[in-house]
Amino acid sequence: MKLAKIIDNTRCIGCHACSTACKSENEVQLGVDRTRVKYVETGTFPNVRRHFQVTRCNQCEHPPCVYICPVTAMYQRPDGIVEFDQDVCIGCRACMAACPYDAIYMDPDTHSAAKCHFCMHRVEVGLQPACVVVCPEEAIIVGDLEDPESVVSKRIAREATQVRKPELGTQPKLYYIGGSHATLRPEAAARPDADIFMWANQRPGDETVGRGAGNVAGALLAYDVGHATPWGTDVALYMWTKSIAAGVMLVAALVALFGRVAGPASSPLVTVFAPLLAILFLVATTVLLVVDLEKPAKFYTILTRPQWKSWLTRGAVILMGFGIVTALWLLPEVSAVIVGRDLLPIWFFRMLAVPVVLFAAAAAGYTAFLLAQCTGRELWATPLAAPHLVVQALVAGSAALVIAGVAVSAGGAFLPAVFLFTLLAHAAFVAAELGMPHRSPHVSRAVDTIVRGKYASIFWLAVIAAGVALPLATVLLLGAFPLAWSFAAACALVGLFAWEYVWVFGGQAVPLS
Amino acid sequence: MSKENDKTPEFVRPATGPNATYPPADRWDDWTEYDSRAWPRRVERRYTIVPTLCFNCEAACGLLAYVDRETLEVRKFEGNPVHPGSRGRNCAKGPATLNQITAPDRVLYPMRRAGARGEGRWERVSWDEALEDIGGRVRRALAEDRRDEVMYHVGRPGEDGYMSRVLQAWGVDGHNSHTNVCSASGRTGYAFWMGDDRPSPDYANARCILLISAHLETGHYFNPHAQRIMEGKQRGAKLIVLDVRLSNTASQADHWVSPWPGSEAAILLAVAKILIDSGRIDREFVRRWVNWDEYLRARRPDLPVTFDAFLEALGAEYAEYTPEFAERESGVAADTVRMIAEEVARAGSALSTHVWRSAAAGNLGGWQVARCLFFLNVLTGSVGSVGGVSPNVFHKFTPAPFRKPPAQNVWNELTWPEQYPLAHHEMSFLMPHLLRDTSHKLEVYFSRVYNPVWTNPDGFAWVRALRDESKIGLHVALTPTWNETAWWADYVLPMGHASERHDNQSQETHASKWVGFRQPVVRVARERLGLPVGKVYETNPGEVWEEDEFFIELSWRIDPDGALGVRQHFESPYREGEKVTIDEYFRWMFENSVPGLPERAAEEGLEPLAYMRKYGVFEVKRDVYAGEQHGRAVPAADMESSRVDAATNVVYGAGGAAVGVMVDGAPVVGFPTPSRKLELYSSTLAEWGWPEHALPGYIRSHVHHSVLERDRGEFALVPTFRLPVAIHTRSANAKWLTELAHTNPLWLNTVDAERLGVRTGELVKVSTDIGFFVLKAWVTEGIRPGVVGCSHHMGRWRQKDAKPGEGALDRWASAVVDLRENADGTWQVHKLAGAGPFESHDPDSRRVWWGDVGVHQNLTFPVHPDPISGQHCWHQRVRVERAAGVSEGDIFVDQKRAEIVYREWLAMTRPARGEWRRPLWLHRPYKPTLAAYRREPVAAD
Repeated sequence: MKLAKIIDNTRCIGCHACSTACKSENEVQLGVDRTRVKYVETGTFPNVRRHFQVTRCNQCEHPPCVYICPVTAMYQRPDGIVEFDQDVCIGCRACMAACPYDAIYMDPDTHSAAKCHFCMHRVEVGLQPACVVVCPEEAIIVGDLEDPESVVSKRIAREATQVRKPELGTQPKLYYIGGSHATLRPEAAARPDADIFMWANQRPGDETVGRGAGNVAGALLAYDVGHATPWGTDVALYMWTKSIAAGVMLVAALVALFGRVAGPASSPLVTVFAPLLAILFLVATTVLLVVDLEKPAKFYTILTRPQWKSWLTRGAVILMGFGIVTALWLLPEVSAVIVGRDLLPIWFFRMLAVPVVLFAAAAAGYTAFLLAQCTGRELWATPLAAPHLVVQALVAGSAALVIAGVAVSAGGAFLPAVFLFTLLAHAAFVAAELGMPHRSPHVSRAVDTIVRGKYASIFWLAVIAAGVALPLATVLLLGAFPLAWSFAAACALVGLFAWEYVWVFGGQAVPLS
Repeated sequence: MSKENDKTPEFVRPATGPNATYPPADRWDDWTEYDSRAWPRRVERRYTIVPTLCFNCEAACGLLAYVDRETLEVRKFEGNPVHPGSRGRNCAKGPATLNQITAPDRVLYPMRRAGARGEGRWERVSWDEALEDIGGRVRRALAEDRRDEVMYHVGRPGEDGYMSRVLQAWGVDGHNSHTNVCSASGRTGYAFWMGDDRPSPDYANARCILLISAHLETGHYFNPHAQRIMEGKQRGAKLIVLDVRLSNTASQADHWVSPWPGSEAAILLAVAKILIDSGRIDREFVRRWVNWDEYLRARRPDLPVTFDAFLEALGAEYAEYTPEFAERESGVAADTVRMIAEEVARAGSALSTHVWRSAAAGNLGGWQVARCLFFLNVLTGSVGSVGGVSPNVFHKFTPAPFRKPPAQNVWNELTWPEQYPLAHHEMSFLMPHLLRDTSHKLEVYFSRVYNPVWTNPDGFAWVRALRDESKIGLHVALTPTWNETAWWADYVLPMGHASERHDNQSQETHASKWVGFRQPVVRVARERLGLPVGKVYETNPGEVWEEDEFFIELSWRIDPDGALGVRQHFESPYREGEKVTIDEYFRWMFENSVPGLPERAAEEGLEPLAYMRKYGVFEVKRDVYAGEQHGRAVPAADMESSRVDAATNVVYGAGGAAVGVMVDGAPVVGFPTPSRKLELYSSTLAEWGWPEHALPGYIRSHVHHSVLERDRGEFALVPTFRLPVAIHTRSANAKWLTELAHTNPLWLNTVDAERLGVRTGELVKVSTDIGFFVLKAWVTEGIRPGVVGCSHHMGRWRQKDAKPGEGALDRWASAVVDLRENADGTWQVHKLAGAGPFESHDPDSRRVWWGDVGVHQNLTFPVHPDPISGQHCWHQRVRVERAAGVSEGDIFVDQKRAEIVYREWLAMTRPARGEWRRPLWLHRPYKPTLAAYRREPVAAD
């Protein structure tokens, strides 16, 4: 059995009975919705029309929210319905970030993800969903796709149907009849550049997603509800701290592989400062990850009931592995402190450097795969993201060590070289990620937000000027002074954080629905 | 988690079988389903499911209340599948009933004013004290024969027959309504055709649906009608919608036609002309059922009284109404007019039309819009036909209660002044003016689910009237919620919502007759569970009563010993001399007045009342069309010693009253008009001073484009449109509805916005003849250039010193305002705060995310009484400009200007001059005696 839903826009009168019945049936609080009706006006007087679209969870055959959920709180039932379990959810909001349809919200009472679940609590006692029952026009129809005799199967077979964003491969099982491009495509209609719709305020949250022109002439979003941006500054910050942690160990391991590191005494920057810095920033990363959860106390369930397809789960394991190899990196120093001499063989660092490089690169880069699991945030789904994250880690790591190197009066030519080279590479990646031909209107709009829109000043001033141009200019002109390198490194670190920030926010700045 | 437990849903199990949409009725008593909040844990909840009727518009849709068997709390409301009108479905307002019964700011206890009237200080009072005080004052008025000094002013009746019975039992002419700010012109247009004043279209079977209304989203009766309009459309009917602004209905139409406001009649007459000229009319129907002979005799004595001569005369009568003329008046292309004519002609007898409020309510002469619209039904023979339009009485059934009181022998000149002898109905919105200009006063004034300060034009005139204790002795507000008017009451008495009261109600939702039963669901649940039940208020929250029991109790207080003759009507039909209980009232009605109900109940082994308590509705008759109504033979009893008027063919019964008409030699009942036919020519209009409007015609609106100076920023304002999720002044207590819609920006066409230099969200100042209001602009292509629109739901306010529970209306949707009266007769309203989070028992009150609550525009409207229908003509000539030096929500009103405008409109009237105050045949809510109709000094003068 495969349950599916048809919404017949040729019958829908935009009356919001379904919105209200759903609030009542599922006790949905103010400020959040499981289903809503979007209005878009097209045309010019007197040839005008208002299009209605009941908008909600699509019950995807390939649900990104299920794939990204680290703890199986979102799961797919055998009948195809995507169900959620509020008792299991840890509140990471990854499902919200992953859903291409803005269908998921955080329940303000349970702090768990919630959405339309086909009223399965009704369906199991033999009742149709509340919205189906209330609809004055019988415009919502549910049934079994695998049963050729069901109304749903017959109508899909006979009539033209549309789904939202079929190109994303999610295979929605919510089919529209008489769907309009103007409502199906989030980028089609212009959003009013004010705080109102035709009879309501725009919801807080709307200001975080794009305003202004749509790509269908004259199409105007006349009514909708806003959506909170799932991921905020703490996610950008976590990416930045993780980048530093991974980066210092990457650089340390490279030094161990290609430089001369005999023991703690030979290079404390590599053997002591690097792992200590890494552990410090790894702890910060972990704290940020946990604090960012709606239910921090349930953090451990990511390990007790892991969902292995999720890059959050995989990332947690990678970070643990990275933590372990980083701790091992301290062993020589620890033994030196405890027994007074280095007990470990001369090739210890060289041997350990290989797993360190692998784990550090993975720790830096896995976020690319996590972001790519956010199917709806098309900006993030770039193949350059993983290598770029590793390069950023190298910039961050070398920068951090350059600064730390001043403190211990150590360094040499290797660190500055890595710093300079990777900073240039980072700049090239930024140029490529934003400048390459855009894969979709969504990406164009996201890039636009970064380069010309809401985040342009951060991008140009912090990412480019402070983060790339200033450090380069500083070391070119004043490279002879060690403090100049530290200044340049600090600037680069600021620039990197700014980049994570615009990347995280820019990726979420495009309306999904 | 329990994936392994996931079961095959039953509703898809027999793949081709019916889907279970509702719990089967035989399991309503004890129904178990899963708790939606605990899911996917399978926590069972047991309910007893009790049917009732929605009370959020006049449609009386069925609801099922899910009453928790443990806690006796109502968990939710769904549709009642047994209800023939709503068929188990609802609009957004149905489920939102739950919000209303749990609203944090609802009135739970009877309150009495503590300071001066309107001062805003309140104290709790016992029901007993309140009843004794009010009863005493009514008693005094009756004892002193001041029978026009008790007034019951109702917004939403929500019932059939109960209150007219109460008022007649008291012997007062005290009914007042909201009709004249609502449907008066719509009614008038229909009444002059057919006597009955409301249409009942058979949308589902139509070939063309022509609406001058927004029935897919609002109106009488939104949900039941929207179902059937869409049903008709899906079967191939063409949907044509005339509306100045793009309504949701217009959006779903095959053709949206946006005429200049008030020009609709010109378009309709052009369509009629095309039908007449091309001969595409139902000749037989027109010949049999239209009073064409009377028309010829009155207007064309030069012609022989033959049908062919009539058709020729008719063509000449409407010769000037060419499509090109319609285009000049309306701005709608002549070709579009021809297209409409094609669709109407194609539909023939399956033409469903409706106009309710909208153009009729907006314009001077708007009643002719309704009349011209029904003209098309008459011409196409789509009156009482399958797919056509019937008089509403075909499809409405009002069962008689026990013991009918006699008609009152008194005429109330406050509601029925002689300047408006043809009004439909009471001149309710002129009451402050009439109170001031005449010697009339009121001893007791009940406002019931009515909020004239906010709803009516010139609200400050109401404030002045309400606070004058020499004119209104006692003001009793019967209301579930605080409102702007209750602020100036002496008593605010809490009354129940849809699930907390009894009413019988029937509406013309489709071509059938049904009776619905509203009931207090917790009381019914208690009864089912074997718990003791008494008065309705014992099971309602706080000390909330229902009106029915209130008026029984009050009537006993008015006439404790029966000396006034009032008490006898409130004594049990089953227990002599004892006070009737509410169960007995309805038991008698269902046992004696609903044909077929006792038999149907017996089939289930139930008493009629028990049947109604179980199902909440009974279908009296299905598929009611013309043949059984106006086409039926005059009953033999009526034919006894009857006479037929040789000239008119009208059959007069023994008592002298018209009982029918001879059609092709057979006596048939016909229509309740003087000619007993559909009246193309209204002798009444001719005789009562309006010969120029004796035929369906076109009256230029007071906002006709020729009167506007568009270069000076003048526009026609359409201030009447409704939203699908709001209920006039009564949804401020529904948080889900308020979240969906809470503001009313000024709709402004793109070209006008560019001209004024205004963008969406920017403030504009809208100046009327008597003041101005300030609001945000909404720039859209969905309105005719030159016209601006503003929804009438929003802009609720509470005064800055109003406290929650003591005068403050629902905080979900009201602004806090500073209201000031200046010495020069001007008033100012300044918004201090909009909506925002607040503390209450409902955690959602801390989650209010919207701030805008709209602006109250009606305060700035002077009264515009149509001289014939008495309708307040809502549209306004306004000046729109970018706002400067004022803030959002600001309102200014000059009462002296309002007075001048009132005099201008009053001067248009042609008062009654003859023997009667009003044509005897015209509708009037609960008619008084013939003696009271006579224009001669009566007791009250």
